[in-house]
Amino acid sequence: MGATAMTAGTFGTASKAIGQAKKPIPTTPVKIAAVSFLTGAAAAPFGIPGDNTYKMCADVINKEGGILGRKIDLQSKDEAGGVDAQVKLCRKLILEDKVDVVLGYISSASCLAVLPLSDELGGLIVAYDCGTHELMEGAKSPYEVPKFKLGFRSKAHLGIDNIGLALYIKKYYPKTKKVAGINPDYAWGRDSWLIFEVAMKKLMPQVEVVKTLWPPLGNTDYTAHISALMGAGPDIVHSSLWGGDAVTFSKQAIGMGFFKKIRMAYSRGEPYPQEVGKDYPEGQIICCAGTHYFLFSPKDKASADLQKWFVGEYHKRYGKYPTYPCYHAYQAIYAYKYAVEKATKAVGGWPTIDEIAKAMTGLTFPTPSGPLTIREDHNGIEDCLVGITKLTPKYPFPILDKMEVFSAAKVNPPVGTKTVDWINSWK
Amino acid sequence: MFSALAPARTWVGARVFFEEELEMWVVYTLNALYFAALLFLTSLGLNIILGVMGILNLAHGSLYAIGAFMAAWTIIAIGMNVPTFFLFISLLSGFVLAGIVGFLMEKSLIRFMYKRTLEYQLLLTFGALLLLEDIIKMIWGGQAYYASAPFDLLGKVDILGHIYPIYFLFVMFITCLAGLFIWFFMGRTKLGIMLRAISLDREMATGLGLDIGRLSTFAFVLGSGLAGLAGALVVPTTPALLGIGMEPLILAFIVVVVGGLGSLKGALVGSLLVGFTRSFGIAIFPEIELPLLFLIAGIILVVKPEGLFGR
Amino acid sequence: MFKKPRWIVYLLILIGLLFIPRLLSIYHLMLFEYGLTFAIVGLGFNLLLGYTGLLSFGHGAYFAAGAYSVAMIGKYFPHAYSIEILIPAALFFSLVLSVIFGFVCVRHTKIFFSILTLSLSMLLFALLFKLYHITGGSDGLRVPLPALFGMSFKGIRRPEFLSGTYYYFLLGMFSVSFLVMKGIVSSPFGKALQAIRDNEIRAELIGIRVRRYRLYAFIISGMFVGLGGALWTFVNGHVTADLSHWVFSGEIVYMTLLGGFGILEGPIIGAILFTYLKLYAMGNTQYWMFVIGATLIVLVLLLPNGVAGAIASLLAKIKRKTVKGTTC
Repeated sequence: MGATAMTAGTFGTASKAIGQAKKPIPTTPVKIAAVSFLTGAAAAPFGIPGDNTYKMCADVINKEGGILGRKIDLQSKDEAGGVDAQVKLCRKLILEDKVDVVLGYISSASCLAVLPLSDELGGLIVAYDCGTHELMEGAKSPYEVPKFKLGFRSKAHLGIDNIGLALYIKKYYPKTKKVAGINPDYAWGRDSWLIFEVAMKKLMPQVEVVKTLWPPLGNTDYTAHISALMGAGPDIVHSSLWGGDAVTFSKQAIGMGFFKKIRMAYSRGEPYPQEVGKDYPEGQIICCAGTHYFLFSPKDKASADLQKWFVGEYHKRYGKYPTYPCYHAYQAIYAYKYAVEKATKAVGGWPTIDEIAKAMTGLTFPTPSGPLTIREDHNGIEDCLVGITKLTPKYPFPILDKMEVFSAAKVNPPVGTKTVDWINSWK
Repeated sequence: MFSALAPARTWVGARVFFEEELEMWVVYTLNALYFAALLFLTSLGLNIILGVMGILNLAHGSLYAIGAFMAAWTIIAIGMNVPTFFLFISLLSGFVLAGIVGFLMEKSLIRFMYKRTLEYQLLLTFGALLLLEDIIKMIWGGQAYYASAPFDLLGKVDILGHIYPIYFLFVMFITCLAGLFIWFFMGRTKLGIMLRAISLDREMATGLGLDIGRLSTFAFVLGSGLAGLAGALVVPTTPALLGIGMEPLILAFIVVVVGGLGSLKGALVGSLLVGFTRSFGIAIFPEIELPLLFLIAGIILVVKPEGLFGR
Repeated sequence: MFKKPRWIVYLLILIGLLFIPRLLSIYHLMLFEYGLTFAIVGLGFNLLLGYTGLLSFGHGAYFAAGAYSVAMIGKYFPHAYSIEILIPAALFFSLVLSVIFGFVCVRHTKIFFSILTLSLSMLLFALLFKLYHITGGSDGLRVPLPALFGMSFKGIRRPEFLSGTYYYFLLGMFSVSFLVMKGIVSSPFGKALQAIRDNEIRAELIGIRVRRYRLYAFIISGMFVGLGGALWTFVNGHVTADLSHWVFSGEIVYMTLLGGFGILEGPIIGAILFTYLKLYAMGNTQYWMFVIGATLIVLVLLLPNGVAGAIASLLAKIKRKTVKGTTC
């Protein structure tokens, strides 16, 4: 009810032209802002590997001539400082710095707050590492897609991790009787546990949930939590703890004899064996947030070759093996590149943001982990790799054994259906 | 979407807790004591400064952080090729550096506060907090410092059937030493008695000829050093990160408020109360954590605003 | 009262402010709007600090009360999501909270008071943080555009909303707040507060009910801050539990002091200055906390009466010099 208000002021009706720009391709650089955790707990395991990969890819693309001849001007920004600071930063990037695209965000909290700015401010944002399934989902199934016309996520959401874990546990540990969960108290932790619990209830209804713990992000003393878990006596403990929290928890848990009777199932555990080293316990179930693992080779040749190159190039530049944030960063920057190229073919000049968004929808392109598709709901879908840690003499940290790949169809909900509803509808 | 399962689960948890987990009480108690120990050390420092100088040092958490980073850096720097003894001594480097920073703070900023009103004191320490947090970033950068050698070296011990890291016992031991030392110092030595005199009645103490300036500096350095020591003790169990001092500051604050401003006995009781509430709280009502502590603080403040042992 | 030259200056400034949307880019206009909302906050906070002499380190709680009222209505009662309901709701909830907290706090002064206000605001913070399913926890809640007096803004982008209708609404609210506060401090009540600030015992002796008046000041300041919080949410688009954290309360104290707590207009200047200072620092260096902290320390040591106070003393000095020059 009520007419839309008249707007006085200088803000015009910019960027409403759809499919009309036939500008020639400019020679100025493409401004790409890459936002990752450069300081703080998430820097070493995620932010810096992600940022390194952005730099590496920008460098490689520029050496090959750039995007349609335009060099990439990569601006690395820090995701630290809290959600509010990120909202303000993104606003500055889009409105004042006028970047061409914002690639970023590791924390689900950042994504939830920032993605709406894409439509609100008229800027293209590609989320590259955050997991919450709520980001693109509507209130009820079926929901309208896409949620944000200019907001994308160039990867699958945490559904694949937690459904993957549940499927793996059903296959390899069918005798499990009790599970528990320790997850950080924010969207990422809450949503990870929710999907895992719903999937477990569906796949293994006889399993009892004996404890759920919610330490705040950045908690330094897990002793009380470790004891509480040990007291409850679960067989498997689910966790989406990451970064410093995961390492702190593991160290304190090892010291308290936690792993003698209990097995952990980490939904995003892939970087930690390398981070912790030899001390990392064996027999832990680890999910790779997709099939991003340096020892995994995709089936199709194009991707397999890419993987070989990617692992080699990253190791050459940075002295470590790439972890999943690296693969995600690759996916984001190349999603933009391929979308621009696809849109340019369609409109014949440098495309507008709306045209790039249109091209990114439904885009499929090869990545080191296999071909990636971004669907009409602006979410990527991926297969999921789960394995168990095992020490071998070849590497100074445990690698994954008994690796199992769950196909995308098994772990991603169909377009327009909420993940929880989809799981509950399984036969 | 409020999970309807939460209350049911809490009930199951409570039932299971009381029926099956009696033996876990040993570990819960140890955890509570460990947490209380660190808290006691931090709040002790805050209380000494508050009691003697009447200043609530909002930068106390930053001194904790400085202790943590210094100790972590030292442990990493001296590596594993030295006798174990040196690894533990390096923890003291946190105590020392925090004390030095406290000294510098007192000499440059705090002495301006004596003539000013309360607002200025709180704002100056708030400004100091902002300053110190970024100074830490400038010196040590944005990454995490893992320095777990002391924790790994001490190994584990079996207590009544439960495996427990010896390092936590070490922390409790150090805290007891510190507590005893402060108790002895405050009660028996001339210097300590002078400090207590100032905290009880500043004007009278001046009238009796005590060198308030020197003594206040000493109190501030001691309080800062204790914060740094607490930070140093924690790094073998958790990485030193930017902002590591913020939560200890708030927790120390609760302890001071609950135990009573300036009361050392209050700091002890307050720390134990917080430690046990947290440890057992997490086991029985996992959702509760922080709000419960504030609620307790709030109730005590309403009923007895001076705190349990305050004046 | 309306004849003094000061009112002409106010009127001129107001007219000037009407043209701001034409002069500033959308990004800077949003910054200015942040400044305006904090100006309202500062006005309210200063009633308690400057005029009553009580330093609260927990006023973020009332800001959060106002802000979360808006966000929660948006989440749970979207059909009631219009300004006519949101602003009164924000005022109501910040009123309730400041009555409850204020009743506990005003029984004490000085450091006890500051500690109490800090603790209570942290209690609210902890609750907002933990009740994830209701408040969004540390992730917070989004704040969509409200309906304004019957006009709906669905489909309009936030920058357009903020540079158009909302700016004038905000300016209106700010003007009203300013007038109300001016009225309060000039009234007998306002004078009584200053008497309490200057000498509590004497005030009691001449019959002023110290504790009651302190409570009134506390409540009024809480409501102003809550109003500012509610108006702020539309500019920011997002609320988080950090609004009730003591560090945020510290920023409120900072900006009041920056402007100068001895003068009515001081906090307004301080709020706008601080907004720009902070965003400028954050945008230009990774060590922005150092910049803000150093500025604060320099301010406290060198300009204890804030920027407005410094300007006022400068003007007074000039006036004295000119008067001197004209003695016959």
